[in-house]
Amino acid sequence: MTNFILVPEALVVAGAVVLLLVARARRRSRRWLPTAAVALALIALIVELWVGGTLATFFGGALVQDRFALFAKAAVLLSAALAIAVTDWTDEDAPAIGMAMILLAAFGVMVIASASDFVGLWAGLELAAAAGVVLVSMRRTDLGLRLVVVGGVASALVLMGLAFVYATAGSADLPTLHRTVGVAGPILPFAIPIFLLLGGLAMRAGVPPFALGLGVQSGASPLAAGLIIGLVAAAALTVSIKIAAALTPVPAVFAPYLMVIAAVAMVGGGAAALATRSPRARLAYLAAGQAGWVAAGLATHYRVGVGASLFLLGAFVLAATTGPAVMGGADAGEFALAGMGVLRPARAAGVALVLLSLAGAPPLAGFFGEFAVGAALAQGGSLWLLVLGLLGALMSLAAALGSVRAIYLQSPPDESRRAAGGRLPVLTRLSTYGAAALCVAIAGYGIFASPIVSLADQGAEALGLR
Amino acid sequence: MILAGIVLASPSPAAVPGAGIFTSPLILSLTIWVPVAVAIAMSTIPNPRGRYDTLMKQIAFFTNLGLMFVLFVAYNQFQTFLPTMQYEEKLPWLASIGATYHLGVDGPSMTMMMLSGLIGITSVLASWGVRERVRSYFILLLLTQSAVNGAIVAHDMFVLVLFWGAAVIPIALLVLGWGGPRREAATWRLVGYWGLGTAALLVAVMTAYAASGGSSFDMDVLLKAVLTPRVQLAVGAALVVAAATRLPLFPLHGWARDVYSEAPLGVSIVIAGTASRLGGYLLLRTLVAAEHDASRLLSPFIAGLAALTIVYAAIAALRSTDMRWAAARLALVPGGLTVFGLAALAPLSIAGSALSIFTGGLAAALIVAAAWTLTDRAQTRSMQLLSGLAPRMPILTWVLILAALGLLGVPLMASYPAEAMILLGSFKNQPVGGFAVAAGLVLTAVALAVIVHRVLFGQPNHDAPAASDASLGESWYLGLLAGGLLWVGLFPGGPKLPGTDQPIFDPGLLNVMSAGITDIASAYTPPSTPAATQ
Repeated sequence: MTNFILVPEALVVAGAVVLLLVARARRRSRRWLPTAAVALALIALIVELWVGGTLATFFGGALVQDRFALFAKAAVLLSAALAIAVTDWTDEDAPAIGMAMILLAAFGVMVIASASDFVGLWAGLELAAAAGVVLVSMRRTDLGLRLVVVGGVASALVLMGLAFVYATAGSADLPTLHRTVGVAGPILPFAIPIFLLLGGLAMRAGVPPFALGLGVQSGASPLAAGLIIGLVAAAALTVSIKIAAALTPVPAVFAPYLMVIAAVAMVGGGAAALATRSPRARLAYLAAGQAGWVAAGLATHYRVGVGASLFLLGAFVLAATTGPAVMGGADAGEFALAGMGVLRPARAAGVALVLLSLAGAPPLAGFFGEFAVGAALAQGGSLWLLVLGLLGALMSLAAALGSVRAIYLQSPPDESRRAAGGRLPVLTRLSTYGAAALCVAIAGYGIFASPIVSLADQGAEALGLR
Repeated sequence: MILAGIVLASPSPAAVPGAGIFTSPLILSLTIWVPVAVAIAMSTIPNPRGRYDTLMKQIAFFTNLGLMFVLFVAYNQFQTFLPTMQYEEKLPWLASIGATYHLGVDGPSMTMMMLSGLIGITSVLASWGVRERVRSYFILLLLTQSAVNGAIVAHDMFVLVLFWGAAVIPIALLVLGWGGPRREAATWRLVGYWGLGTAALLVAVMTAYAASGGSSFDMDVLLKAVLTPRVQLAVGAALVVAAATRLPLFPLHGWARDVYSEAPLGVSIVIAGTASRLGGYLLLRTLVAAEHDASRLLSPFIAGLAALTIVYAAIAALRSTDMRWAAARLALVPGGLTVFGLAALAPLSIAGSALSIFTGGLAAALIVAAAWTLTDRAQTRSMQLLSGLAPRMPILTWVLILAALGLLGVPLMASYPAEAMILLGSFKNQPVGGFAVAAGLVLTAVALAVIVHRVLFGQPNHDAPAASDASLGESWYLGLLAGGLLWVGLFPGGPKLPGTDQPIFDPGLLNVMSAGITDIASAYTPPSTPAATQ
């Protein structure tokens, strides 16, 4: 079994390379490509679920296969497959490159999930972010440049943080860090680099007030927006989980930062989602609010909290990655979604469930994750953070209901208005099935949560948490 | 006799013909998930240009009829001599935090499920006139019923929070999509208040969870944990806020006027009949049943809120210039009474409150439905124009009078035993509150008398638009609500064969309701004196 453990990674990378070669061939578009890419991602997911339970180490311990890696990889592969399936490929500038970038970003998260040292974390994060830059630049080079600059600042902060932590702890290895920080105690030389590191990761995750790159998603293609809101944020959050787990012996150096970030993200994300009228921007803010919940779970710095964060991360990456893609080109005002429930019922259901899940509405995936995090916060005595989270969730729910109303209760706008920024996605069999599968996944994630949350809990345990 | 029978629950089971014919380990899950499954199925049926709108209505109706049948079987086979939970289902859900899919019903919950079944059928009948986006409407209505049923049968606080919160979304969309001219304001008020209530409930649950060791959300564990009075007070206060937003109670009643008057009739019936009754049910199931210290500490405050609600509702109804607004305010009265009975913390008043959740739901739904239908038929909501309608609306006249009598709790109406138990049980523990509530009921009677006299028996207003009586379809849903009130009022212990104690087909709502009440109220039973013991 050990020999098959890296097969999902190999399949994803091979798929991305083939897609890039196809893009170079410059022939007319091939309609079977999305189906093939979805099949590839699903095969990788099946292999991961089949052999991923086996514990193993590779490359001298640089990559580790454990329950944490299994959970994160499965979540990201499912998200990538569904994102490719629901994307309206007629609205993408370079479909083959788009698919390749989604697969590469997924590979980046997979590397982070298995990484056991700073190099792996850094490489995975940068790979996912670079895929986002490429995809954004396909449509708007100015936005790509902006993303490079903002991402550069984030990268610099992360790199400085990692370097200082390495200098202080004397090791870039996460298990060694876990052992040594306990001996050193919560000292200032740790607190400063962790501050820089978490700041950089918050920027990458698009968490308010660090969401400097948020405007980028508005001008990007739907798939690129999903990549940045979902996969890149998931990469940053996965790094955060690993770093937080390694630093659990000294929670004083990271938990207060995370609590502040979580509080601002949960309340700020909800308020911004309520204030904006653009469906895609609203989705991005809702996602930022949910990322705040993930951070809140990490701030508890014990197994139940981190397990809950991991469980919520699965729901987050699923909704945030597929959300913009299933929404399609509806990035203008709320009218862009009007009548979608009548004209594109499967997609409409997908958009509605994604928005409600990101808002934490019951009984969808996001609610279950946020409830689990809430329980961990209560256990940890951080009821004030829970109350702020509920305030943010209330605003998020109101914002999501506004969009759901547009989808189901408003009449479709006339074609001239639609052309101004609300083109509905083209109907294809793959996208319809993909949207239906997305609905099942988001509803089923919570309803059949028992095995998933158990795996997430085992994932937290695999990080050495008690 | 009836009152004594409730407080001293009979230890001997009353045999019901047909008991044991139909059993299912999933009977409660059916009531939650069948509406969801039907809603999903309805969403997949092609309906080009509304060709199958009638089919959608029929599907919703027969789903509710089927649910009522299942509930009636469960009600009939309910063991009235057992104080424990029945029809229990338990599965692990979020194991790492101790959340389980735990369902179960005792007497009060079984009673409330019957209310939910009846309200479900009534709401579909009241929605028969919906013309726009029929499929979406009935899907949301079924999802609402599913959420309400889930909250009633939940025996795990996680499940309760899940369904309590889930009810907000379909109801908000129903008001937003099919409401009257002020639907936007009504919806956002509803979302704001109910969202606040959900947040308060979640805070209460999490506080209790953390204080009890953070091992389980199961009510058997969480509500039996020994909490310090301080924690109980915090939990209790949050529970009161949650309940007060839902019932609603003064001063958290801001949504009621707009929602009851702007929501489509079927939705108003669901909200007034069951969704809002969850507030009283929550207090009964959690605060009164488990947090005894907090109940005692908060009881004067809660009684004050209840009395204020009733007095406010009566005065506001009296001053209303809109018939629907008046009805919306009068619909607050049963909730106030329910909470007052709970606040009195006497076994008799608690039993009365449990019964008043059922009777109050019917009475509130009936007054809202009667006012809604009357204003629809009279083509105006203005109290200035509505006058002397009795000759032109004989059916609606009877219904409005029955609704008024139901609200006031006169003999032969189901609300009579409930109100009698509440007032008789509460005067010893809450004399001031009791007088205030009684004064509020007198004011309510005055308001109802003024409204009924003006609207039905006043001088006909010749400037008013033409009015017509309720149609056959409207008579059905109004008749069901009024019939429910009368049936339980006439046969609170169930109809029996002459000369025997053998129930014919209905074991009696009072008998079913009282199963479990003794257990809940036992903490508040006054210690018996040595003389009485001898």
